[in-house]
Amino acid sequence: MRGLIGILLLLSASLAQAGDYVVVVSTSTSIENLSSGKLRDIFLKKRSFDGSVRVIPVNLLGNDPARREFEERVLNMEREELKRYWVTSHFQGIAPPATQASLQSVKSFVSSVAGAIGYLPRDMVDGSVRVVYEF
Amino acid sequence: MTLRQMIPAFMRLTALFAVLLCLGNTARGAEDDYQLGLGYRLNDQITLGGYFSFEYARGDNVDEIVLDDLALLAYGNLSPRFSYLVELESVGVYKKDFEAGTSDTNFPPAVERFYGDYKFSESANVRFGKFITPIGYWNLQPINVLRDTSSNPRYSRETFPKFVTGADLYGYTPFDSDLEYHMFGQVSQDIDDSYVNIQVDEHFGLVLSKQLTPAWHAGLSVGRYQQTDDTRASYFQVNSRLDLGSWRFSFEGIEDRLDRPNQRRENKRAMYLQAEKRLNSQHSLIARYDYLDDGLNDDNEEVGVLGYSYRPVFPVSLKAEYQWHSDSRFNQLLTSISVLF
Repeated sequence: MRGLIGILLLLSASLAQAGDYVVVVSTSTSIENLSSGKLRDIFLKKRSFDGSVRVIPVNLLGNDPARREFEERVLNMEREELKRYWVTSHFQGIAPPATQASLQSVKSFVSSVAGAIGYLPRDMVDGSVRVVYEF
Repeated sequence: MTLRQMIPAFMRLTALFAVLLCLGNTARGAEDDYQLGLGYRLNDQITLGGYFSFEYARGDNVDEIVLDDLALLAYGNLSPRFSYLVELESVGVYKKDFEAGTSDTNFPPAVERFYGDYKFSESANVRFGKFITPIGYWNLQPINVLRDTSSNPRYSRETFPKFVTGADLYGYTPFDSDLEYHMFGQVSQDIDDSYVNIQVDEHFGLVLSKQLTPAWHAGLSVGRYQQTDDTRASYFQVNSRLDLGSWRFSFEGIEDRLDRPNQRRENKRAMYLQAEKRLNSQHSLIARYDYLDDGLNDDNEEVGVLGYSYRPVFPVSLKAEYQWHSDSRFNQLLTSISVLF
């Protein structure tokens, strides 16, 4: 019984979190929405464009909850798996996305650089960025 | 010297110059940032790295240790749409044969890769220079440290040219934005043919691949090439990979049709099937079955491989494997240490 209650609590917690974060681009970028598959490809640098729009993924530095949630829910990869992926990519001449030190700097970068794409908590969204995906 | 010979010679010199330029910039220093396995990132224009591997083989006919490869690479973005990569590699740098009591060295580096990428859009990008033939999985991760076993299946060594010196048009198809394609062509000799597996002066190919589900990827390739000895070949290749948590299954197979001047047409078939069980982030067990049937050289071989891989950190790989060949004289134990830096 205690186990069942635990599972229900975990489930309700995860449901409450869904949609707390968003992926954003600059309002000057013509991208309206992106699928999770394309987002994954963009942040793994397998894809440099959405149509004719050149995209520039930007990561949050370190181990912030926003980055952890993005890696788990959108990339579907654990940090160790991501490290392996980037080592393999190094041989292919592909470096990981650029990083920004804080959520505020991610937002500033995305809003001012055409094609830049990053993730933020939903409550940081304002008129300077456009939401293209929720997670 | 013909134009066909002059172009590779010019590109070889340019590649050497590019690496020297990058090393010169390193000496001047910049926003340096080094991470093992990710290289030395000076700035967006220059990241430097490299790799090496030691191998030890022991069997009925072999007992040797080899510093097998030592390579330096540099890459970066010269503009938002243009990037480059240059790699110089020495193969068989030092070899000690305990059976024969001899040793050998080979240091002069060859241009392993040297190419530029220009990105136009999601569906059209161009790579030009010398690059890895974009076929399957094994050929795209050919170095010891990235592989799961020290050895390569014969499929990857003998059935198609591992490199292209020419151009590759690639991207995602306009009618299915998840279907990736490559159309590549070569009409000259290699920039540097020191370590190429098949010497060609013409090669054309088409590759299609797709992530069918989050766990399942598949692809196919067709192509034809002409060797410098005038042997003509065409091939059809398929590959598929399944990632099921701690298990990964990979398959690649190819059929070559070979026409050698004044001889009858022969077929060459090769495949491998590999299963990898990741015990945790450091330890893995690998089992592989290799098969090759070469009608041209009257060579038929099956190989079973059982291997163990230990990675204290991912860019450092220690591996051991035992190979059972259909001709048991070639059974051997193979171990290696390799690092990507």
